[in-house]
Amino acid sequence: MSRRSAALIALLLCFACLRDEQPAQQPSRTPKKPAAAADAGTPQEGGTLVRRIEADVVTLNPITSTSTYDRQVVDYLFTPMVYLDQDLEPIPGLADSWEILEGGRLYRFELNQKATFADGTPVKASDVVFTLKKIFDPTSEALQIIGAFEYLDLARTRAVDDDTVEIGFRQPLAAQLIRFHDVMVLPEHVYSKGKFREDFNSTAVGSGPYRLVKRDPGKEVIIERREDYWREKPPLKRVIFKVISDHATAWNALRRGDIDETRLSSDVWRREHQNPQYANSVDFRRFYTMSYNFIAWNLRTPRLADKRVRQALSMCIPTQSVINDLYYGTARAMSGPFTPDSFAYNPTVPVIRHDLTGAKRLLTNAGWMDSNGDGVVDSKGKPLKIELILMAGNATTLQFGQMLQGEMKKIGVQLELSVLDFSSAIQRIMNGNYEAAYFGYDLDNDPDPFNILHSSQVPPRGQNFAYYANPEIDRIIVQARSEMDRSKRKDLYWRLHEIVAADQPYTFTVQVSSKWGLHKRVRGAEVSGYGLYRWFPGPLGWWIPRDQRAHDRAGQ
Amino acid sequence: MTTYLVRRILYAVLTFLGITVATFALIHSVPGDPITFYLGRGMHSVPPEVLAAMRRELHLDEPLPQQYLRWLKGSVTFDFGRSTVDRRAVRDVVLEKLPNTFQLNLFAFLLAASLGVPIGLWSASRSGRLTERLSAVGFFLLYSLPSFWVALILIQLFSVRVDWLPLFGMNSDDYPSLGWGGQLVDRLKHMVLPVLTLTYAQLAIFARFSKSAVSEVIRQDYITAARAKGAGTAAVLWRHAFRNALLPLITLLGLVIPYLMSGSVIVEQIFQWDGVGLLYYNSILARDYPVVMALTVVTAVLTLIASLLADILYAFADPRVRLGEGTR
Repeated sequence: MSRRSAALIALLLCFACLRDEQPAQQPSRTPKKPAAAADAGTPQEGGTLVRRIEADVVTLNPITSTSTYDRQVVDYLFTPMVYLDQDLEPIPGLADSWEILEGGRLYRFELNQKATFADGTPVKASDVVFTLKKIFDPTSEALQIIGAFEYLDLARTRAVDDDTVEIGFRQPLAAQLIRFHDVMVLPEHVYSKGKFREDFNSTAVGSGPYRLVKRDPGKEVIIERREDYWREKPPLKRVIFKVISDHATAWNALRRGDIDETRLSSDVWRREHQNPQYANSVDFRRFYTMSYNFIAWNLRTPRLADKRVRQALSMCIPTQSVINDLYYGTARAMSGPFTPDSFAYNPTVPVIRHDLTGAKRLLTNAGWMDSNGDGVVDSKGKPLKIELILMAGNATTLQFGQMLQGEMKKIGVQLELSVLDFSSAIQRIMNGNYEAAYFGYDLDNDPDPFNILHSSQVPPRGQNFAYYANPEIDRIIVQARSEMDRSKRKDLYWRLHEIVAADQPYTFTVQVSSKWGLHKRVRGAEVSGYGLYRWFPGPLGWWIPRDQRAHDRAGQ
Repeated sequence: MTTYLVRRILYAVLTFLGITVATFALIHSVPGDPITFYLGRGMHSVPPEVLAAMRRELHLDEPLPQQYLRWLKGSVTFDFGRSTVDRRAVRDVVLEKLPNTFQLNLFAFLLAASLGVPIGLWSASRSGRLTERLSAVGFFLLYSLPSFWVALILIQLFSVRVDWLPLFGMNSDDYPSLGWGGQLVDRLKHMVLPVLTLTYAQLAIFARFSKSAVSEVIRQDYITAARAKGAGTAAVLWRHAFRNALLPLITLLGLVIPYLMSGSVIVEQIFQWDGVGLLYYNSILARDYPVVMALTVVTAVLTLIASLLADILYAFADPRVRLGEGTR
């Protein structure tokens, strides 16, 4: 038996060696060449799509939901007040039309008169009022969306008639209209009964094009198209969401054809996206979405209060190596709080150069020199030591920290890395009990940076983790967020971008592109600033040619 | 014997209470709580009123001893509260995942024990020879192989290169429409790879453990006597050596039983097996106190029962253990 187990190990080892040498071997389930005719742009009705979600759905209640995976399912089951088109501009959703009155303090929406919920009842203006009340009620725990409606004035919010609703706000916000994209209207007669936070996690009654068939916790969610849908029906008859938490398993499932789409890790993308083996089966996509990575510096730390020190530390980041070596060229450098695709992005602000000599000079000017010859610069007898918090669970994040550590060491700065799980890290950051933290951030499609830069938004109230306070920035932010004229807003944000880049309360590092693999049988998949999802039609426009419906054969 | 039992059970209850207090204190002392998990994630801040309402709802505003007593009171009636994440009853969540983990681990355990023990016996009989040393190295290698790696290799071999076994999940999409037999076959097919991944390291443990237990016995005089009287190697091993080597194996059994319920994060993640391991991991990350407590209690109770059983079996198997009773 010892011989046998040794032989088994030897076999496994051999196999592991061979694996990379024989990439051309065909997987068993690669479908035959897609029929050329099917490429013609006309969607073909019917079929089943299998999507991957990386974690189980927590709730299907769109108001209490906080996870992006919930949102991916919810987008099929509910209709928001307004949809966002591919340019992320508002277009009719549940509301056919709208007026913005009183300088942005009152919104009047006309609902689509044909709109019905999945139980057949018509959508009424009173349902919209009910939904907004639920969002605004602290006991609903609408954690993600309540912040978007902080100025809602319920006293001036009312159903004018069955199809007209007026919604009041205490302050005008330029971004308010697009925030209605997150208001998924609930039927009052269903969601007013029972416990709002507990009873609607595995059920859903919405006005969207699909209805819930089954939620199997930990495994899958199945939805089916409503044949009585009140708008133009989407092509796919059925969508199955499979929970697959492991990236490697998801990639294997995609290449076997078990699933139709998955996010890909940078590693898989780099290794496989040009592999001819998948030329006929996998459609590799790469695009930028509204998220970026940054370092927050705690300005209440005396060593970091000096802007020259922050600038010097930022100049230690080897941005080009980060992009090339950690992300294989699939990321781009950031210069401020806005992504390069945003109207708020000021292209004249340069990305901070990786310049150790310059950094050293800045530190010397700021009074940091190695006076005792121990290799670490010091000032008033204290060495320049900084602890950087990194979020656990991401190898690239750690590699970034190590690269930065190496660069800083060259100019006598001692960077200590603390890898913490998300909750521990956030707890320390929210308590101001940290010096520097590296993390990623998802933006809305409105660039308003109030939450991370305004001095009123320091923790625990907001997310100005840097404790940044600059009166000019405060003024610009307040003015810009209620400015309805986009060109004037743009000018304000361009100015803000310059100031923040000079102040460096945060060092915005890179924007990493999203990588996806779609099965070649999926057609009509397009990308917006949000990526594949969260816009209209987005995944509602996907379809599968009739001769390639692999998921419809077995027992469906 | 009765006082021995009563004493054992009393100890078990005290140990149980100690474990729950320790776990409760430990998870509450880890930075972050069920609410911090939701902070700092998006563009909009969460208003303090909402956080306060949430704290009240989850009783996080009460002093810790009061929270513990609330938990203890509930758990006596098997009410472990609700998950802080999806607000389902913790009992339902745990009862939903436990059988899945149990199925997987029971198969792995049976396979590992039924192969590992004979292998161990065999290699004990080869004591001092080259085959014995090689097998020892083999066990060590087997035990050291990281399971995520083995799992990926198995997937490459059996799911990707040849389509013999399913890649992930617990059953196929057409499972509900299959007959009784079909469902069984389908489930077994889904179990093959995860069970193999779970088995190989356990097998090595069983083999090594039973080998060392038997090797100990084999050096005793009565084995030499048995050999001298002309009994065959197999008979000596099974009838004389193995029986007397049972005691350490009982200990091992006591250690393995709780493991049957405490799933493996890695295996469950790779094969998307909806079990306790993944639940434990995610609950810790989300600081889902009620779920973490419930799972800890289940594991603790099982460990206690198993060691209690082991103690009782000891007493039956070995009169010397009972001796304490006679001298009192």
